[in-house]
Amino acid sequence: MTDINLPSNSKIRLAIANVMPYLLAVLASFAASGIFIAIMGFNVPKAFATILFTSFRTPNGFIQTLLKFIPLTLQALAFTVPLAAGKFNIGGEGQLIVGGIGATAVGIMLADLPLPILLPLVILAGVIFGGFWAAIPAWLLYRFGINEILTTVMMNFVSFGLIDYVATEIWRDPLAGHPTTIPIGVGGELPMLISSPPLHSGIILIIIVAVGVYMYTNRTSAGYELVATGANPRASKVYGINTRKMFLLSLIIGGCLAGLSGAIEVSGSQHRLIEGLQSNFLLLGLIIGLIAKGDNRAVPFVAFFIAVLEIGASGMQRTMMIPVEMVFIVEALVLLFVLLSDVIRRR
Amino acid sequence: MDEFIPQFVGFARLVVLSIVPFVLAGQGTMLGGRTGLFNVAQEGIMLLGASLGFLGAYLYGGLEYGVLLAVFAGAIGGLALAYFTTTLKMNQFVIGLAIFFFTMGLSTLFYKFVVGVTLQPPLIPTLKDLPIPILSRIPIFGEIFFNQNIMVYFAILVSLFFWYLLYKTSFGLKLRAVGENPKAADSLGVNVGRMRYLTAIIGGMLMGLAGAYLPMVYTGTFTAGMVQGRGWIAIALTFFGGWSPGLILLGSLFFAGVEVLALRVQVGGFGIPYQFLLMLPYLATILTMIFAFKWIKAPAFLGQNYDREKRSLS
Repeated sequence: MTDINLPSNSKIRLAIANVMPYLLAVLASFAASGIFIAIMGFNVPKAFATILFTSFRTPNGFIQTLLKFIPLTLQALAFTVPLAAGKFNIGGEGQLIVGGIGATAVGIMLADLPLPILLPLVILAGVIFGGFWAAIPAWLLYRFGINEILTTVMMNFVSFGLIDYVATEIWRDPLAGHPTTIPIGVGGELPMLISSPPLHSGIILIIIVAVGVYMYTNRTSAGYELVATGANPRASKVYGINTRKMFLLSLIIGGCLAGLSGAIEVSGSQHRLIEGLQSNFLLLGLIIGLIAKGDNRAVPFVAFFIAVLEIGASGMQRTMMIPVEMVFIVEALVLLFVLLSDVIRRR
Repeated sequence: MDEFIPQFVGFARLVVLSIVPFVLAGQGTMLGGRTGLFNVAQEGIMLLGASLGFLGAYLYGGLEYGVLLAVFAGAIGGLALAYFTTTLKMNQFVIGLAIFFFTMGLSTLFYKFVVGVTLQPPLIPTLKDLPIPILSRIPIFGEIFFNQNIMVYFAILVSLFFWYLLYKTSFGLKLRAVGENPKAADSLGVNVGRMRYLTAIIGGMLMGLAGAYLPMVYTGTFTAGMVQGRGWIAIALTFFGGWSPGLILLGSLFFAGVEVLALRVQVGGFGIPYQFLLMLPYLATILTMIFAFKWIKAPAFLGQNYDREKRSLS
């Protein structure tokens, strides 16, 4: 596996060997959920066709998929970067919300600034606020050794109160029925790439960030220390890596990435803060990160696949009345079979 | 001052009523943890328990059917955790999270398939109080502790039973040994795998039951996400209670107390924005963790799989 000078056809074979378990896992999960759909009395081929092809039938469907792909990739990376250091960040939801609050605060308070100044500030505020929200559990882990799973989850629930306060008390939009803030300044909006159906330039930002994260964890010595910490904390410590600092750092980077996803939701899609902007991105991010087995190179591809499934599922609910939660079972099964393929390979 | 005592009794009664989900899920977590199995799927298993607990009662016209379904689902969740981690040796947190997704998705899916989308959610009759003769007539104390529903008594009895089982029987000693040093336990003839299956399944059952309590006592219906972090708080409670049944029971009073307090202050309207009161249970949980992780020792093998063919223990 590690030999670099492989002849080209065995390189292809290696690639197939890596992708094959995924394909089998997808097939197996579709088969299993197909049985479930059939028992519920729905048309199985039509359901699967809707799930898989809604994203590709219309330009609108494809753009919707891309718009979903953006936060999903970031949420997944917010999970996989700390995971590389052996830490579980389950707080991407709260970090997204607080990042969104930060972006909105800057976007509203400095609304008159021109785009070249305001836009970077809005995005940066999201990143910093998200990082700060993750820094709290990270510090509690660093200082008191408190399990980060618990504290990151708790911070999610705290953020629900915070966004409600911001959207109903501080910058409430009196015209909106749902808790929503007034819009941010025009200069804080991400420029559109395509106007109809609308696609904002966040997609370019995401590609840069995803490549950057991969380069950091896989191609730099600082990133290597992070990965080494996760692979073998004891050996890393003996080698002289400050592993506790690595835990701290990895969680804060995760928070920054999740905060960025909040900023992009505000600056790109909504242009204001709407309560519930986090959707179910956290859970999907975790699923993506786990399906990708923590490999940052695989994350964007898995995220795109899950975005396709999600858009397909809402199409399925619209046209066939199959509850959208069905796709959650499909995704959980894909994860299960991917994990199982590892066990089988080990034997 | 005349009003104080009835007000206090009312508050305390509500706190004791609210300990049940925390106690049941906490004891379930503790039991698995004592054999080294760290379940992190509480929130999902509780949601599924809440959904099935409601649906069972709604479909078959009796709370006991709901309870049966919820407990059964919890057992399956626990069995899955034990199988993937103990038999297949997969990472406990990863499997826990996977079970969390699965159960969470299923909870809403089952509800939607059975009930569909309605303007007015259907309701089930909630669980009635069952005053204990004589004891419930003790002033103050009787009203707080012995004029409750059957699940409150059950939660307290389960805690006492676990305390007895773990610390007063040889079976309990073996069980604890599996979580502290599985190799030593194995060499003494304790079946590590079987012990882990057993605690995972019983622990899962308790979590399912904890979830079923919510529609049965609080709301009379199921809504998505209705567990509201109680499953995660139960993990915190388990750490707070030092993985010991008696302290978990006592600690649950604190977590239930904060929950009831937040609601009370909200209704009373003391000028504090309600959003900040809603944060209270979660902030309190984080604060208690600072102390819990300082003083208290978790089972040494918590979260680690045991492979008898491996030489070293860590």
